[in-house]
Amino acid sequence: MLTAERTKKCYGVLQLLIQIGLFCLLAWGMEQVSVYLELPVPGSVLGLAILLLLMGLKLVPEKSVKLGAGWLTGELLLFFIPPVISIIKYESLFEQYSAPLMLTLVIGSVCVLLGTGFVVDRVFRFETKMNSKRLNAAKAIEVI
Amino acid sequence: MSQSMLAAISLVFTLSCYFLIKQLYLKKRVWWLAPILIVPVVIVLFVVSLKIPLPAYFEYTHWLVALLAPATIAFSVPIYRERKLIFSYPLTIGIGVVTGLLLGLLSSWGLMQIFSLPPELSQSTLVRSVSTPFAMEATSAFGGVPELTAMLVLLTGIIGMLVCEPLFKLAKINSPLAIGAALGAAAHGAGAAKASEFGKEEGVVASLTMIFTGIAMVLGAPFFSIFLV
Repeated sequence: MLTAERTKKCYGVLQLLIQIGLFCLLAWGMEQVSVYLELPVPGSVLGLAILLLLMGLKLVPEKSVKLGAGWLTGELLLFFIPPVISIIKYESLFEQYSAPLMLTLVIGSVCVLLGTGFVVDRVFRFETKMNSKRLNAAKAIEVI
Repeated sequence: MSQSMLAAISLVFTLSCYFLIKQLYLKKRVWWLAPILIVPVVIVLFVVSLKIPLPAYFEYTHWLVALLAPATIAFSVPIYRERKLIFSYPLTIGIGVVTGLLLGLLSSWGLMQIFSLPPELSQSTLVRSVSTPFAMEATSAFGGVPELTAMLVLLTGIIGMLVCEPLFKLAKINSPLAIGAALGAAAHGAGAAKASEFGKEEGVVASLTMIFTGIAMVLGAPFFSIFLV
């Protein structure tokens, strides 16, 4: 019983590693393509578009990449810890300008939160109305 | 101690610190254990107190940063999974992305004119509201520094998480799509995590808004930089 469970766990880990490897391979390959063809789009965004297309065309089942994608997007914080540590290098810069910088970030965030929230709230109401109208129209046609 | 020894210690410490604190946070659920707040602080203290030179710290840990590109590709999975929602509300999500992106850029740019920050700092704040992998990719088009950008993106995420609730109450923003879009556009990953606390739909919309604003920022950076730098 225990061994069966353990085998299953090992299999899961192996699957995860293979999927992460595939994501890395695709990222590396697309980066090469982007550099070689001198595209204005970075390899990572190109890879995103291509994988989305492949899933949309049912050539790549979502199940086969779900584990790896979940891990990569879930541990995002870990991947940008090292650049954040570089703050040590810019310590004096941050110290000198901490007040205007924090003000910029706080006021800016408030602007984005309020502005986006307000606009989307209005558009959402409008679109919900449109959607129900469309539904009603479709129903009316069915009745006829 | 040799450089490669220090480099190995740096990598092991970074990984164990991150996963331990994450486990602890999932168990205890107290706000000050949130990995986004505490992990950078602990690691900075560790590097400074052991006097580890930065090149040694980066020797192995830069492989972690290399995972940002595959993580970007991985964002295609949530887009595909939520295609139904996207097709139901294309206008709402689209306008949310455009509004969030422009407000993020313009608010940074406007505040830059008021406060006189040094150029490497002010230009790095332009992309502060999109997710790190996209921000680090887009920042050089504006003359920003990727490392500074990562720090500013992190701070922006924390600020958005902290200030959103009173703001939503004050402005009577209460539809799930609006809460999700606002948090995703203003505070990227941290905002999406916060939005999930409001509800499932809020979390999904925040993730989608974060991803789309990130993509739009990367694609539009060369064009936006003409006007803003």
